[in-house]
Formats: sequence, structure tokens, C-alpha cells
Amino acid sequence: MTAESKNVENDKQQLRTGLWATVNERYPGSMITKSDFVALAKSKKPLSESRLTFVSTAGVQPKGSLPFDTVHPIGDYTFRCVPSDSKPSDLEIHQLKYPTSGAERDINVIFPIERLQELQAVGLIGELAPNFFSFIGYNMDAEMLERTLAEDLAEAVEAEGSDVALLAPA
Amino acid sequence: MQRAIEKRGIPTVSITVALDVTEHIKPPRAVFVPFMMGHHFGVPFHKELQRRIILDALNFLATTERSGEIKMLPWNWAQARQEGKLIEEQFRLKS
Amino acid sequence: MSLQYLKEAVAEGDNESLIRYVRLHFGDGNEAAGAKEIDKAWIEALKLLLDVPKTDREFILETLAEKDAATLAHLFFHLHFYFVERSGEWIHDGRV
Repeated sequence: MTAESKNVENDKQQLRTGLWATVNERYPGSMITKSDFVALAKSKKPLSESRLTFVSTAGVQPKGSLPFDTVHPIGDYTFRCVPSDSKPSDLEIHQLKYPTSGAERDINVIFPIERLQELQAVGLIGELAPNFFSFIGYNMDAEMLERTLAEDLAEAVEAEGSDVALLAPA
Repeated sequence: MQRAIEKRGIPTVSITVALDVTEHIKPPRAVFVPFMMGHHFGVPFHKELQRRIILDALNFLATTERSGEIKMLPWNWAQARQEGKLIEEQFRLKS
Repeated sequence: MSLQYLKEAVAEGDNESLIRYVRLHFGDGNEAAGAKEIDKAWIEALKLLLDVPKTDREFILETLAEKDAATLAHLFFHLHFYFVERSGEWIHDGRV
């Protein structure tokens, strides 16, 4: 933990501490560390005129789509498109690595599709991209993740003309 | 992932519950909430909290000045859970 | 690279690291839990055969003869989780 994160008040601290180190100890080399920062892209429009997409590692997928491969020892490097007008009852979760106790009762705690639909309906968000995107976070091969999944997904996001992307890495 | 999208010219912001992982990965912008894994937007049926977290993240996106900034959001887990329980109780009373 | 780490362990015949990895995978990051999970899957499979029910051996032999080894390996991982789930004791709730 860095000095910066140590200084925050107790109740504002990460609940599950030392996560990076724990995972990296269990799965050596699977965690990514970057030493550089990417240049910031500029927002071109106010939010109320922007097309927004949402990207999640929560393993959320439309019912009936090919389930994420949660048993593969090296991981699953595919993603699913989740139509942004889906209802929670259209969706299901396939993953094994984070607690879904809340999401089982209300999927919006990890995939806030209804809240995004409401924000769009009242005009705070201009429009929602046709699809949101989802994959699973269990991926042993960090290099392959960056080379294939990250690029494939970024391309899909770009192809739908999104002006802004909200992400929730579970 | 986030870096790949940002590199294509689309501004991004993520919501994280794992500050240490985010500090390693160095996404362009992130907001941190001290919540349980898998509960980035709070607790079940707490619509207002879920909504506020989305808006906090999106507002931060518009004001970030340097890449790698992480904003600590003022929410706290114990309070979120308490409020969630209350909301569920009221919901049960109504139905 | 983590995959690199596993490949190096294979190249060096470092079975200690490999079995540790397999147990971590099945145990959601907990080696002892993973070892128990492997036992659980085998016990569940064994229980199903105690009464010597009729099974589809043709399907089994055909599958083994016709499918490539990687597909069978993938199936093996699926079968592990299938039997663990059947056992009624599911530890994969993301909390370990």
C-alpha cells in the first residue's frame, strides 16, 4: 500500500487490503503494473450531449449467450455485448472470483444498467451506446489480455461512436 | 483495457474498490469507493447511491487535469449498508 | 508474464509450482481448499458409480478417440467443476 492510500481515514480505506500483492503472490506475474500514463483524451461534448458506453469485468451477459468460460485455467479472452436497453431479467452473471451476494438481488450494484437508462431518460446523459460490454476478470495471461481482449473491446467501443466510457473493473 | 479505449481518443473513467490494483495499472482516471468487491455502485435497491456514484465518476471525468488521477469519493460502506437495509425495510412495508 | 511462469515451470519440470497453481485455481486462491476440492470432485464421481449403473461407454470411447487432447483437457476442467457443484458444497463465492 502506498503512503497516499495509507493516509486516508479508516472508513474510507479499501475493504479488501493488499489485493494486488495477494493475487500476484498466488498467480505470479498475472497482475499488470504500468510505469507510464496514457495521454488524456479530451471530452468533446458536455455529458448531456454525449453517447456513453459502459464496460464491466463482472461477467454479465445476456441470457442465452455463450457462458463465459469460468473453468479454463488460463482464462477467457472474449467479451459479450449487452444491449443497453436490456432489463435486469434479460441478464445473468457467469464468474467465480468476486462476491455476487449484492448483484444476485440487484444487478445494478455491479452493472448499473437501470440507473444509466434513467440518467439518459432525464437528459443528464445524452444517449447510451447501442451496447455495453462485459468480460471476466480471471485472465492469467496479461500480455494476451492487452494484445487481444483490450484491443478487440476498444475497437468495438470505438465502432459504436461512443464519446465517453464508464468502466467498472470488478 | 481502459488505457486501450483512451488511446483511441475516447475519454474514460473507472470506478474501483481496489486502490492498490488501480495504482499499479495506472488508468487515465479513476474514482475510488471503499466498498466490498463486486459492489462498486453500492448496495441493492439503493438507487440514489448507485446514481450518485455514476454521476460522481462522470463529473470527475470532465474535470481531470492529469492522467492517472484517482479521486477518493466520500462514501462509506457501513453507512451504505445501513441505508440499504432501511430502504429494503420500507420497501417490504409498502408491498 | 504469468503464463510465461507456468510455461517455464513446465519446461523445467517444476511440478511443485504447477500443482500449486492447479490447487490455487480450484481453491479460488487457497491451496489447501483447492486440494480438498479435487478430492471432493473424485469422491462425487466415485459415489455415482458404486451401484454400477449403466453408462454410455460408447460415447466415452468415441469422445476419447475423436476429440483432440486440448478439448479433452478443457472438458476435464469442466468435469471438475461439474462434480464439485453436484457435491452441493460450492466455495466459489469470490470471498476466499
